[in-house]
Amino acid sequence: MSAAAMKTLPLLSSVFLLLAASSCSVMPSLSREQTPTVVFALGTRDGFSSPLQGALKPACPALVFTGETYALTGGHRKALGTLAAEWSSGKPRYLITGYVAPGLPEDFARSLTERRAQAVRQQLIESGIEASHLQTVGFGFDSSPSSPTSSVVVIFQQ
Amino acid sequence: MKMVRLPVLLCFFMLQAPAAEALTLPGWMRFWKSETAAGQPLVSQKRIQVGEFSGGTGGSARQALLDELTSSRDFVLTNEKPDYIVAGSSIGGRVNGRLVDASGKELMERTYAAPGLDENAKALADDVILAITGKPGLATSRIVFVSDKTGMKQVYLCDPDGREVLQVTHHSYGAVSPSLNADGSAVAYTSYRSGFPVVQWLDLGQGWERTVTDTPGTSFGAAFAPDGQRIALVMSFLGNPEIFVTDLNTNTAACISDTTGAPSSPAWHPDGKQVIFSDDRGGGPRLYIAEVPETNESEAKLLRWRTGYSFSTDPEFSPDGKSVAFTTRIDGALAVVVKGWPNGPARVIQSGGAAHPSWSPNGQTLCYAQHGTLYVHQLASGQRRAILEKHGQITEPRWMK
Repeated sequence: MSAAAMKTLPLLSSVFLLLAASSCSVMPSLSREQTPTVVFALGTRDGFSSPLQGALKPACPALVFTGETYALTGGHRKALGTLAAEWSSGKPRYLITGYVAPGLPEDFARSLTERRAQAVRQQLIESGIEASHLQTVGFGFDSSPSSPTSSVVVIFQQ
Repeated sequence: MKMVRLPVLLCFFMLQAPAAEALTLPGWMRFWKSETAAGQPLVSQKRIQVGEFSGGTGGSARQALLDELTSSRDFVLTNEKPDYIVAGSSIGGRVNGRLVDASGKELMERTYAAPGLDENAKALADDVILAITGKPGLATSRIVFVSDKTGMKQVYLCDPDGREVLQVTHHSYGAVSPSLNADGSAVAYTSYRSGFPVVQWLDLGQGWERTVTDTPGTSFGAAFAPDGQRIALVMSFLGNPEIFVTDLNTNTAACISDTTGAPSSPAWHPDGKQVIFSDDRGGGPRLYIAEVPETNESEAKLLRWRTGYSFSTDPEFSPDGKSVAFTTRIDGALAVVVKGWPNGPARVIQSGGAAHPSWSPNGQTLCYAQHGTLYVHQLASGQRRAILEKHGQITEPRWMK
Protein backbone atom coordinates (compact mmCIF):
# COMPACT_ATOMS: atom_id res chain seq x y z
CA MET A 1 0.00 0.00 0.00
CA SER A 2 1.38 3.41 -0.94
CA ALA A 3 2.20 6.15 1.61
CA ALA A 4 -0.52 8.39 0.18
CA ALA A 5 -3.08 5.68 0.65
CA MET A 6 -1.88 5.10 4.22
CA LYS A 7 -2.40 8.83 4.96
CA THR A 8 -5.90 8.97 3.50
CA LEU A 9 -7.10 5.74 5.15
CA PRO A 10 -7.81 7.29 8.60
CA LEU A 11 -9.58 10.18 6.93
CA LEU A 12 -11.76 7.90 4.84
CA SER A 13 -12.52 5.76 7.88
CA SER A 14 -13.57 8.83 9.86
CA VAL A 15 -15.84 10.04 7.07
CA PHE A 16 -17.42 6.60 6.78
CA LEU A 17 -18.02 6.33 10.53
CA LEU A 18 -19.48 9.84 10.59
CA LEU A 19 -21.88 9.01 7.79
CA ALA A 20 -22.80 5.72 9.39
CA ALA A 21 -23.46 7.31 12.76
CA SER A 22 -25.58 10.07 11.29
CA SER A 23 -27.62 7.59 9.25
CA CYS A 24 -28.28 5.51 12.37
CA SER A 25 -30.19 8.38 13.88
CA VAL A 26 -32.75 8.28 11.09
CA MET A 27 -32.89 4.55 10.64
CA PRO A 28 -36.27 3.04 11.41
CA SER A 29 -36.49 1.24 14.68
CA LEU A 30 -35.81 -2.48 14.53
CA SER A 31 -38.42 -3.17 17.14
CA ARG A 32 -41.76 -4.21 15.71
CA GLU A 33 -43.81 -1.64 17.47
CA GLN A 34 -43.18 1.28 19.72
CA THR A 35 -44.96 0.70 22.99
CA PRO A 36 -47.28 3.60 23.73
CA THR A 37 -46.34 5.52 26.84
CA VAL A 38 -49.97 5.95 27.88
CA VAL A 39 -52.68 3.39 27.23
CA PHE A 40 -56.21 4.75 27.36
CA ALA A 41 -58.82 2.49 28.94
CA LEU A 42 -62.05 2.05 27.07
CA GLY A 43 -65.07 4.02 28.21
CA THR A 44 -68.62 2.76 28.36
CA ARG A 45 -69.99 0.92 25.33
CA ASP A 46 -73.50 2.31 25.83
CA GLY A 47 -74.92 3.74 22.63
CA PHE A 48 -72.50 1.99 20.31
CA SER A 49 -73.99 -0.24 17.61
CA SER A 50 -72.38 -3.46 16.43
CA PRO A 51 -72.04 -4.32 12.74
CA LEU A 52 -73.49 -7.72 13.68
CA GLN A 53 -76.83 -6.06 14.39
CA GLY A 54 -77.17 -4.08 11.20
CA ALA A 55 -75.31 -2.36 8.41
CA LEU A 56 -73.01 0.42 9.56
CA LYS A 57 -71.21 2.97 7.44
CA PRO A 58 -67.42 2.73 7.30
CA ALA A 59 -65.75 6.02 8.10
CA CYS A 60 -62.78 5.34 5.83
CA PRO A 61 -61.42 2.55 3.65
CA ALA A 62 -60.58 -0.65 5.52
CA LEU A 63 -57.04 -0.86 6.88
CA VAL A 64 -55.40 -4.00 5.53
CA PHE A 65 -52.92 -5.94 7.68
CA THR A 66 -50.55 -8.59 6.42
CA GLY A 67 -49.22 -11.60 8.28
CA GLU A 68 -49.85 -11.62 11.99
CA THR A 69 -48.49 -8.22 12.90
CA TYR A 70 -50.46 -5.58 14.77
CA ALA A 71 -48.00 -2.79 14.03
CA LEU A 72 -49.36 0.10 11.98
CA THR A 73 -47.78 0.96 8.65
CA GLY A 74 -47.13 4.39 7.20
CA GLY A 75 -50.20 3.96 5.02
CA HIS A 76 -52.33 3.23 8.08
CA ARG A 77 -51.02 6.32 9.87
CA LYS A 78 -51.69 8.50 6.85
CA ALA A 79 -55.30 7.28 6.52
CA LEU A 80 -55.90 7.66 10.24
CA GLY A 81 -54.39 11.16 10.20
CA THR A 82 -56.89 12.17 7.53
CA LEU A 83 -59.75 10.70 9.55
CA ALA A 84 -58.58 12.47 12.69
CA ALA A 85 -58.37 15.78 10.84
CA GLU A 86 -61.98 15.42 9.69
CA TRP A 87 -63.19 14.38 13.12
CA SER A 88 -63.15 17.81 14.75
CA SER A 89 -65.91 19.13 12.49
CA GLY A 90 -68.69 16.85 13.77
CA LYS A 91 -66.93 14.86 16.49
CA PRO A 92 -68.60 11.54 15.57
CA ARG A 93 -68.05 8.35 17.53
CA TYR A 94 -66.26 5.44 15.92
CA LEU A 95 -66.36 1.68 16.49
CA ILE A 96 -63.06 0.12 15.46
CA THR A 97 -63.53 -3.54 14.47
CA GLY A 98 -60.87 -6.12 13.71
CA TYR A 99 -61.33 -9.12 11.41
CA VAL A 100 -59.03 -11.86 10.20
CA ALA A 101 -59.31 -14.55 7.56
CA PRO A 102 -59.95 -18.12 8.81
CA GLY A 103 -56.89 -20.28 9.36
CA LEU A 104 -55.46 -19.03 12.65
CA PRO A 105 -56.32 -20.62 16.00
CA GLU A 106 -59.65 -19.05 17.01
CA ASP A 107 -58.62 -17.54 20.34
CA PHE A 108 -55.43 -16.08 18.90
CA ALA A 109 -57.44 -14.59 16.02
CA ARG A 110 -59.76 -12.83 18.47
CA SER A 111 -56.88 -11.40 20.44
CA LEU A 112 -54.90 -10.37 17.37
CA THR A 113 -57.85 -8.53 15.83
CA GLU A 114 -58.63 -6.80 19.10
CA ARG A 115 -54.97 -5.79 19.43
CA ARG A 116 -55.01 -4.35 15.90
CA ALA A 117 -58.17 -2.41 16.69
CA GLN A 118 -56.51 -1.10 19.87
CA ALA A 119 -53.43 -0.03 17.90
CA VAL A 120 -55.68 1.93 15.53
CA ARG A 121 -57.51 3.47 18.48
CA GLN A 122 -54.25 4.51 20.08
CA GLN A 123 -53.13 6.18 16.86
CA LEU A 124 -56.43 8.06 16.54
CA ILE A 125 -56.15 9.26 20.13
CA GLU A 126 -52.61 10.47 19.52
CA SER A 127 -53.91 12.24 16.40
CA GLY A 128 -56.42 14.22 18.42
CA ILE A 129 -59.64 12.21 18.72
CA GLU A 130 -61.12 12.00 22.20
CA ALA A 131 -60.68 8.54 23.74
CA SER A 132 -64.32 8.38 24.86
CA HIS A 133 -65.43 8.58 21.22
CA LEU A 134 -63.65 5.35 20.29
CA GLN A 135 -64.62 1.74 21.02
CA THR A 136 -62.92 -1.43 19.82
CA VAL A 137 -63.92 -5.02 19.21
CA GLY A 138 -61.95 -7.90 17.73
CA PHE A 139 -64.16 -10.46 16.00
CA GLY A 140 -61.43 -12.82 14.85
CA PHE A 141 -63.33 -14.81 12.27
CA ASP A 142 -66.44 -15.29 14.41
CA SER A 143 -68.54 -12.69 12.65
CA SER A 144 -71.43 -13.21 10.28
CA PRO A 145 -70.78 -14.15 6.64
CA SER A 146 -71.57 -10.61 5.50
CA SER A 147 -68.60 -9.24 7.41
CA PRO A 148 -65.10 -8.90 5.99
CA THR A 149 -63.22 -12.17 5.84
CA SER A 150 -59.77 -10.78 5.19
CA SER A 151 -57.31 -9.33 7.69
CA VAL A 152 -58.65 -5.81 8.05
CA VAL A 153 -59.61 -3.21 10.59
CA VAL A 154 -62.82 -1.40 9.69
CA ILE A 155 -63.79 1.85 11.40
CA PHE A 156 -67.56 2.30 11.58
CA GLN A 157 -69.10 5.68 12.20
CA GLN A 158 -71.87 5.52 14.84
CA MET B 1 -44.31 1.84 35.32
CA LYS B 2 -46.40 -1.10 34.17
CA MET B 3 -44.26 -1.50 31.07
CA VAL B 4 -41.03 -1.67 32.99
CA ARG B 5 -42.00 -4.12 35.65
CA LEU B 6 -42.49 -7.21 33.49
CA PRO B 7 -39.12 -7.27 31.68
CA VAL B 8 -37.39 -6.75 34.98
CA LEU B 9 -39.37 -9.55 36.52
CA LEU B 10 -38.64 -11.92 33.67
CA CYS B 11 -34.93 -11.20 33.70
CA PHE B 12 -34.85 -11.79 37.43
CA PHE B 13 -36.44 -15.20 37.14
CA MET B 14 -34.34 -16.28 34.19
CA LEU B 15 -31.15 -15.47 36.04
CA GLN B 16 -32.11 -16.63 39.50
CA ALA B 17 -34.23 -19.70 38.92
CA PRO B 18 -31.72 -22.53 39.43
CA ALA B 19 -30.00 -21.00 42.43
CA ALA B 20 -33.12 -19.86 44.23
CA GLU B 21 -34.98 -23.12 43.88
CA ALA B 22 -34.74 -24.11 47.53
CA LEU B 23 -35.81 -20.74 48.83
CA THR B 24 -38.91 -19.32 47.24
CA LEU B 25 -39.49 -20.64 43.77
CA PRO B 26 -42.44 -22.91 43.10
CA GLY B 27 -41.81 -26.47 42.05
CA TRP B 28 -42.72 -25.88 38.40
CA MET B 29 -39.72 -23.63 37.90
CA ARG B 30 -37.13 -26.24 38.88
CA PHE B 31 -35.03 -27.58 36.09
CA TRP B 32 -34.70 -31.29 36.62
CA LYS B 33 -35.66 -33.82 34.04
CA SER B 34 -39.24 -34.83 34.52
CA GLU B 35 -41.32 -37.72 33.35
CA THR B 36 -43.71 -36.83 30.60
CA ALA B 37 -47.11 -38.22 29.83
CA ALA B 38 -45.96 -38.68 26.27
CA GLY B 39 -43.06 -40.84 27.35
CA GLN B 40 -44.63 -42.90 30.09
CA PRO B 41 -44.29 -46.64 29.77
CA LEU B 42 -47.41 -48.68 29.28
CA VAL B 43 -48.73 -50.07 32.53
CA SER B 44 -49.53 -53.78 32.43
CA GLN B 45 -53.25 -54.30 32.04
CA LYS B 46 -55.23 -55.65 35.00
CA ARG B 47 -57.43 -58.69 34.57
CA ILE B 48 -61.04 -58.14 35.47
CA GLN B 49 -64.08 -60.40 35.47
CA VAL B 50 -67.56 -59.00 34.98
CA GLY B 51 -69.69 -61.39 36.98
CA GLU B 52 -73.42 -61.88 37.20
CA PHE B 53 -75.86 -59.02 37.47
CA SER B 54 -79.14 -60.21 38.88
CA GLY B 55 -82.54 -58.58 38.40
CA GLY B 56 -84.80 -57.78 35.47
CA THR B 57 -82.35 -55.45 33.71
CA GLY B 58 -79.27 -57.25 35.02
CA GLY B 59 -78.33 -58.70 31.64
CA SER B 60 -78.49 -55.32 29.95
CA ALA B 61 -76.52 -53.70 32.76
CA ARG B 62 -73.81 -56.35 32.52
CA GLN B 63 -73.52 -55.93 28.76
CA ALA B 64 -73.37 -52.14 29.03
CA LEU B 65 -70.64 -52.43 31.66
CA LEU B 66 -68.73 -54.88 29.48
CA ASP B 67 -68.92 -52.44 26.56
CA GLU B 68 -67.65 -49.55 28.65
CA LEU B 69 -64.77 -51.49 30.19
CA THR B 70 -63.79 -52.84 26.78
CA SER B 71 -63.72 -49.41 25.17
CA SER B 72 -61.66 -48.02 28.06
CA ARG B 73 -58.78 -50.37 27.06
CA ASP B 74 -57.61 -50.34 30.66
CA PHE B 75 -58.31 -54.02 31.35
CA VAL B 76 -58.20 -57.57 30.07
CA LEU B 77 -61.71 -58.94 30.45
CA THR B 78 -61.45 -62.58 31.51
CA ASN B 79 -63.00 -65.26 33.64
CA GLU B 80 -59.66 -66.92 34.41
CA LYS B 81 -57.59 -65.78 37.37
CA PRO B 82 -58.99 -62.26 37.47
CA ASP B 83 -57.33 -59.60 39.62
CA TYR B 84 -60.73 -58.03 40.21
CA ILE B 85 -64.35 -59.08 40.00
CA VAL B 86 -67.29 -56.75 39.53
CA ALA B 87 -70.84 -57.97 39.95
CA GLY B 88 -74.16 -56.64 41.11
CA SER B 89 -77.80 -56.25 40.26
CA SER B 90 -80.10 -54.11 38.19
CA ILE B 91 -83.83 -53.58 38.47
CA GLY B 92 -85.73 -51.07 36.36
CA GLY B 93 -82.54 -49.48 35.11
CA ARG B 94 -81.16 -48.79 38.58
CA VAL B 95 -77.75 -50.45 38.95
CA ASN B 96 -75.92 -51.70 42.00
CA GLY B 97 -72.29 -52.68 41.58
CA ARG B 98 -69.72 -54.27 43.84
CA LEU B 99 -66.01 -54.55 43.14
CA VAL B 100 -63.74 -57.02 44.95
CA ASP B 101 -60.12 -57.97 44.43
CA ALA B 102 -58.72 -61.47 43.99
CA SER B 103 -58.66 -62.06 47.73
CA GLY B 104 -62.33 -61.14 48.05
CA LYS B 105 -61.68 -57.79 49.69
CA GLU B 106 -64.39 -55.28 48.82
CA LEU B 107 -63.00 -52.19 47.10
CA MET B 108 -66.25 -50.47 46.24
CA GLU B 109 -69.99 -50.87 46.38
CA ARG B 110 -72.42 -48.27 45.05
CA THR B 111 -75.95 -47.85 43.71
CA TYR B 112 -76.66 -45.74 40.63
CA ALA B 113 -80.18 -44.40 40.25
CA ALA B 114 -80.06 -42.02 37.27
CA PRO B 115 -83.05 -42.31 34.89
CA GLY B 116 -81.21 -44.33 32.20
CA LEU B 117 -79.59 -47.75 32.51
CA ASP B 118 -76.75 -46.80 30.14
CA GLU B 119 -76.00 -43.73 32.21
CA ASN B 120 -75.83 -45.84 35.36
CA ALA B 121 -73.62 -48.46 33.71
CA LYS B 122 -71.22 -45.74 32.55
CA ALA B 123 -71.03 -44.25 36.01
CA LEU B 124 -70.29 -47.71 37.44
CA ALA B 125 -67.61 -48.27 34.80
CA ASP B 126 -65.95 -44.96 35.65
CA ASP B 127 -65.98 -45.80 39.37
CA VAL B 128 -64.49 -49.26 38.71
CA ILE B 129 -61.73 -47.71 36.59
CA LEU B 130 -61.00 -45.07 39.21
CA ALA B 131 -60.93 -47.64 42.03
CA ILE B 132 -58.46 -49.88 40.19
CA THR B 133 -56.25 -47.46 38.25
CA GLY B 134 -56.55 -44.32 40.37
CA LYS B 135 -57.41 -42.38 37.21
CA PRO B 136 -60.88 -41.27 36.21
CA GLY B 137 -62.76 -43.21 33.57
CA LEU B 138 -64.03 -41.45 30.48
CA ALA B 139 -67.46 -43.01 30.10
CA THR B 140 -69.27 -40.13 31.77
CA SER B 141 -66.91 -37.39 30.59
CA ARG B 142 -67.95 -34.91 27.93
CA ILE B 143 -66.28 -32.87 25.21
CA VAL B 144 -67.56 -29.38 24.51
CA PHE B 145 -66.99 -27.85 21.10
CA VAL B 146 -68.21 -25.28 18.58
CA SER B 147 -69.96 -26.19 15.35
CA ASP B 148 -71.55 -24.08 12.62
CA LYS B 149 -73.92 -26.88 11.63
CA THR B 150 -76.97 -24.63 11.98
CA GLY B 151 -75.32 -21.85 9.98
CA MET B 152 -74.36 -20.00 13.15
CA LYS B 153 -71.55 -21.03 15.48
CA GLN B 154 -73.08 -22.71 18.53
CA VAL B 155 -71.84 -24.73 21.51
CA TYR B 156 -72.32 -28.52 21.59
CA LEU B 157 -71.48 -31.46 23.86
CA CYS B 158 -70.71 -35.07 23.03
CA ASP B 159 -69.30 -38.12 24.77
CA PRO B 160 -65.75 -39.40 24.08
CA ASP B 161 -67.09 -41.67 21.33
CA GLY B 162 -68.74 -38.77 19.51
CA ARG B 163 -72.19 -40.00 20.49
CA GLU B 164 -74.91 -38.33 22.53
CA VAL B 165 -74.37 -35.03 20.71
CA LEU B 166 -76.26 -32.25 22.48
CA GLN B 167 -76.66 -28.70 21.21
CA VAL B 168 -76.16 -26.56 24.29
CA THR B 169 -76.91 -23.10 22.89
CA HIS B 170 -79.75 -22.33 20.48
CA HIS B 171 -79.15 -18.68 19.70
CA SER B 172 -79.67 -16.54 16.64
CA TYR B 173 -76.28 -15.02 17.42
CA GLY B 174 -72.86 -16.67 17.72
CA ALA B 175 -71.70 -18.71 20.72
CA VAL B 176 -68.00 -19.60 20.74
CA SER B 177 -64.92 -20.29 22.93
CA PRO B 178 -66.59 -22.76 25.35
CA SER B 179 -65.18 -24.36 28.47
CA LEU B 180 -66.65 -26.99 30.80
CA ASN B 181 -66.19 -26.88 34.55
CA ALA B 182 -64.67 -29.85 36.38
CA ASP B 183 -67.89 -31.79 37.01
CA GLY B 184 -69.45 -30.94 33.67
CA SER B 185 -72.35 -29.06 35.25
CA ALA B 186 -71.64 -25.67 33.68
CA VAL B 187 -70.29 -24.15 30.48
CA ALA B 188 -68.64 -20.76 30.12
CA TYR B 189 -68.66 -19.37 26.60
CA THR B 190 -68.46 -16.16 24.60
CA SER B 191 -71.79 -14.86 23.37
CA TYR B 192 -72.47 -12.24 20.69
CA ARG B 193 -75.98 -11.58 21.94
CA SER B 194 -75.50 -7.81 22.11
CA GLY B 195 -73.39 -7.78 18.95
CA PHE B 196 -70.33 -7.55 21.17
CA PRO B 197 -68.50 -10.45 22.81
CA VAL B 198 -69.47 -11.12 26.43
CA VAL B 199 -68.69 -14.17 28.56
CA GLN B 200 -71.69 -16.16 29.78
CA TRP B 201 -71.94 -18.86 32.45
CA LEU B 202 -74.54 -21.52 31.66
CA ASP B 203 -75.77 -24.04 34.24
CA LEU B 204 -76.42 -27.22 32.29
CA GLY B 205 -78.55 -28.79 35.01
CA GLN B 206 -80.92 -25.91 35.65
CA GLY B 207 -80.66 -24.27 32.25
CA TRP B 208 -80.21 -20.73 33.54
CA GLU B 209 -77.28 -18.51 32.67
CA ARG B 210 -75.69 -15.31 33.81
CA THR B 211 -73.20 -12.86 32.43
CA VAL B 212 -69.68 -13.19 33.81
CA THR B 213 -68.26 -10.13 32.07
CA ASP B 214 -69.79 -7.47 29.86
CA THR B 215 -66.96 -4.99 29.60
CA PRO B 216 -66.01 -2.68 26.72
CA GLY B 217 -63.74 -4.19 24.12
CA THR B 218 -63.49 -7.94 23.76
CA SER B 219 -64.00 -10.80 26.25
CA PHE B 220 -63.29 -14.43 25.39
CA GLY B 221 -61.20 -17.50 26.20
CA ALA B 222 -62.90 -18.43 29.49
CA ALA B 223 -61.27 -21.34 31.35
CA PHE B 224 -62.56 -22.73 34.63
CA ALA B 225 -60.10 -23.14 37.50
CA PRO B 226 -60.00 -26.66 38.98
CA ASP B 227 -61.99 -25.43 41.99
CA GLY B 228 -64.75 -24.17 39.67
CA GLN B 229 -64.87 -20.89 41.57
CA ARG B 230 -62.65 -18.83 39.28
CA ILE B 231 -62.42 -18.24 35.56
CA ALA B 232 -59.37 -17.09 33.61
CA LEU B 233 -60.24 -15.12 30.48
CA VAL B 234 -59.15 -12.34 28.15
CA MET B 235 -60.60 -8.85 28.52
CA SER B 236 -59.48 -5.64 26.83
CA PHE B 237 -61.28 -2.82 28.63
CA LEU B 238 -57.97 -1.49 29.98
CA GLY B 239 -56.94 -0.41 26.48
CA ASN B 240 -55.19 -3.61 25.44
CA PRO B 241 -56.05 -7.29 25.80
CA GLU B 242 -54.98 -8.83 29.13
CA ILE B 243 -55.50 -12.12 30.95
CA PHE B 244 -57.73 -11.75 33.99
CA VAL B 245 -58.78 -14.13 36.74
CA THR B 246 -62.31 -13.46 37.90
CA ASP B 247 -63.82 -14.81 41.10
CA LEU B 248 -67.34 -16.09 40.42
CA ASN B 249 -68.40 -15.61 44.03
CA THR B 250 -67.31 -12.00 44.44
CA ASN B 251 -67.43 -10.86 40.78
CA THR B 252 -63.99 -9.33 41.14
CA ALA B 253 -61.21 -9.66 38.58
CA ALA B 254 -57.42 -9.36 38.74
CA CYS B 255 -55.09 -8.87 35.81
CA ILE B 256 -52.27 -11.45 35.70
CA SER B 257 -50.64 -10.95 32.30
CA ASP B 258 -49.14 -7.43 32.31
CA THR B 259 -48.63 -7.29 28.55
CA THR B 260 -49.03 -4.88 25.66
CA GLY B 261 -49.21 -7.78 23.21
CA ALA B 262 -52.02 -10.05 22.11
CA PRO B 263 -52.65 -12.63 24.86
CA SER B 264 -55.07 -15.52 24.36
CA SER B 265 -56.20 -19.01 25.38
CA PRO B 266 -55.53 -19.15 29.14
CA ALA B 267 -55.59 -22.58 30.83
CA TRP B 268 -55.05 -23.64 34.42
CA HIS B 269 -52.43 -25.88 35.96
CA PRO B 270 -54.18 -28.71 37.86
CA ASP B 271 -52.95 -27.21 41.13
CA GLY B 272 -55.02 -24.09 40.45
CA LYS B 273 -52.07 -21.83 41.20
CA GLN B 274 -50.73 -21.10 37.71
CA VAL B 275 -52.26 -20.11 34.41
CA ILE B 276 -50.55 -20.80 31.10
CA PHE B 277 -51.45 -18.65 28.12
CA SER B 278 -50.28 -17.55 24.71
CA ASP B 279 -49.06 -14.01 24.10
CA ASP B 280 -47.84 -12.34 20.92
CA ARG B 281 -45.57 -9.50 21.92
CA GLY B 282 -44.48 -8.79 18.39
CA GLY B 283 -42.70 -11.93 17.23
CA GLY B 284 -45.53 -14.43 17.08
CA PRO B 285 -47.51 -16.09 19.86
CA ARG B 286 -45.36 -17.69 22.59
CA LEU B 287 -46.32 -19.34 25.87
CA TYR B 288 -46.19 -17.66 29.27
CA ILE B 289 -47.03 -18.83 32.76
CA ALA B 290 -48.48 -16.58 35.41
CA GLU B 291 -48.43 -17.61 39.03
CA VAL B 292 -51.80 -16.47 40.30
CA PRO B 293 -51.44 -14.51 43.53
CA GLU B 294 -53.42 -15.75 46.50
CA THR B 295 -54.20 -12.28 47.75
CA ASN B 296 -55.21 -9.10 45.98
CA GLU B 297 -52.22 -7.31 47.43
CA SER B 298 -49.55 -9.38 45.67
CA GLU B 299 -48.71 -9.32 41.96
CA ALA B 300 -48.79 -12.20 39.52
CA LYS B 301 -45.35 -13.59 38.66
CA LEU B 302 -44.71 -14.17 34.98
CA LEU B 303 -42.40 -16.56 33.19
CA ARG B 304 -41.92 -17.21 29.52
CA TRP B 305 -41.83 -20.90 28.68
CA ARG B 306 -39.71 -21.77 25.66
CA THR B 307 -41.34 -24.48 23.59
CA GLY B 308 -38.88 -24.46 20.71
CA TYR B 309 -41.59 -23.18 18.38
CA SER B 310 -42.04 -19.57 17.32
CA PHE B 311 -45.79 -20.06 17.08
CA SER B 312 -47.49 -21.57 20.13
CA THR B 313 -51.13 -21.17 21.10
CA ASP B 314 -53.98 -23.00 22.88
CA PRO B 315 -51.83 -24.51 25.65
CA GLU B 316 -53.32 -26.94 28.13
CA PHE B 317 -51.69 -28.78 31.04
CA SER B 318 -52.13 -32.54 31.30
CA PRO B 319 -54.19 -33.67 34.31
CA ASP B 320 -51.01 -34.69 36.17
CA GLY B 321 -49.38 -31.34 35.37
CA LYS B 322 -46.34 -32.99 33.80
CA SER B 323 -46.96 -32.09 30.14
CA VAL B 324 -48.46 -29.32 28.06
CA ALA B 325 -50.30 -29.79 24.78
CA PHE B 326 -50.47 -26.81 22.44
CA THR B 327 -51.04 -25.75 18.85
CA THR B 328 -48.08 -24.77 16.71
CA ARG B 329 -47.43 -24.31 13.02
CA ILE B 330 -45.28 -26.74 11.02
CA ASP B 331 -44.65 -26.18 7.32
CA GLY B 332 -47.40 -23.60 7.20
CA ALA B 333 -50.10 -25.83 8.71
CA LEU B 334 -51.34 -26.00 12.28
CA ALA B 335 -50.15 -28.96 14.35
CA VAL B 336 -50.63 -30.37 17.83
CA VAL B 337 -47.56 -30.87 20.01
CA VAL B 338 -47.05 -32.26 23.52
CA LYS B 339 -44.02 -31.15 25.53
CA GLY B 340 -42.87 -32.17 29.00
CA TRP B 341 -43.30 -29.59 31.70
CA PRO B 342 -41.18 -27.76 32.72
CA ASN B 343 -38.47 -29.53 30.76
CA GLY B 344 -38.91 -32.40 28.40
CA PRO B 345 -38.91 -33.37 24.78
CA ALA B 346 -41.53 -32.03 22.40
CA ARG B 347 -43.47 -34.59 20.41
CA VAL B 348 -45.58 -33.80 17.37
CA ILE B 349 -48.88 -35.57 17.91
CA GLN B 350 -50.60 -34.58 14.70
CA SER B 351 -49.70 -32.15 11.94
CA GLY B 352 -51.54 -31.08 8.78
CA GLY B 353 -54.10 -28.73 10.30
CA ALA B 354 -54.73 -30.25 13.76
CA ALA B 355 -55.47 -27.61 16.38
CA HIS B 356 -56.81 -26.85 19.83
CA PRO B 357 -55.75 -29.96 21.78
CA SER B 358 -57.42 -30.87 25.04
CA TRP B 359 -56.54 -33.66 27.48
CA SER B 360 -58.87 -36.41 28.59
CA PRO B 361 -59.40 -36.58 32.36
CA ASN B 362 -57.10 -39.63 32.63
CA GLY B 363 -54.31 -37.92 30.65
CA GLN B 364 -54.01 -40.79 28.17
CA THR B 365 -55.83 -39.22 25.25
CA LEU B 366 -56.05 -35.89 23.46
CA CYS B 367 -58.94 -34.53 21.48
CA TYR B 368 -58.44 -31.92 18.79
CA ALA B 369 -60.09 -30.53 15.68
CA GLN B 370 -58.68 -31.03 12.20
CA HIS B 371 -60.38 -29.73 9.05
CA GLY B 372 -63.69 -29.51 10.87
CA THR B 373 -63.60 -33.07 12.26
CA LEU B 374 -63.28 -33.99 15.94
CA TYR B 375 -60.57 -36.54 16.73
CA VAL B 376 -59.41 -38.43 19.81
CA HIS B 377 -55.78 -39.56 19.85
CA GLN B 378 -54.33 -42.23 22.14
CA LEU B 379 -50.90 -40.99 23.21
CA ALA B 380 -49.41 -44.36 24.14
CA SER B 381 -50.36 -46.18 20.95
CA GLY B 382 -50.43 -43.18 18.61
CA GLN B 383 -53.77 -44.38 17.27
CA ARG B 384 -56.40 -41.81 16.52
CA ARG B 385 -59.97 -41.91 15.30
CA ALA B 386 -62.50 -39.41 14.07
CA ILE B 387 -65.32 -39.45 16.58
CA LEU B 388 -67.48 -36.77 14.99
CA GLU B 389 -67.43 -35.67 11.37
CA LYS B 390 -69.83 -34.07 8.92
CA HIS B 391 -71.35 -32.18 11.81
CA GLY B 392 -70.66 -28.73 10.40
CA GLN B 393 -67.23 -27.22 10.94
CA ILE B 394 -66.12 -28.39 14.39
CA THR B 395 -63.66 -26.15 16.24
CA GLU B 396 -62.41 -25.37 19.75
CA PRO B 397 -62.96 -28.75 21.47
CA ARG B 398 -62.31 -28.93 25.17
CA TRP B 399 -62.51 -32.04 27.31
CA MET B 400 -64.11 -31.93 30.72
CA LYS B 401 -61.54 -32.34 33.49
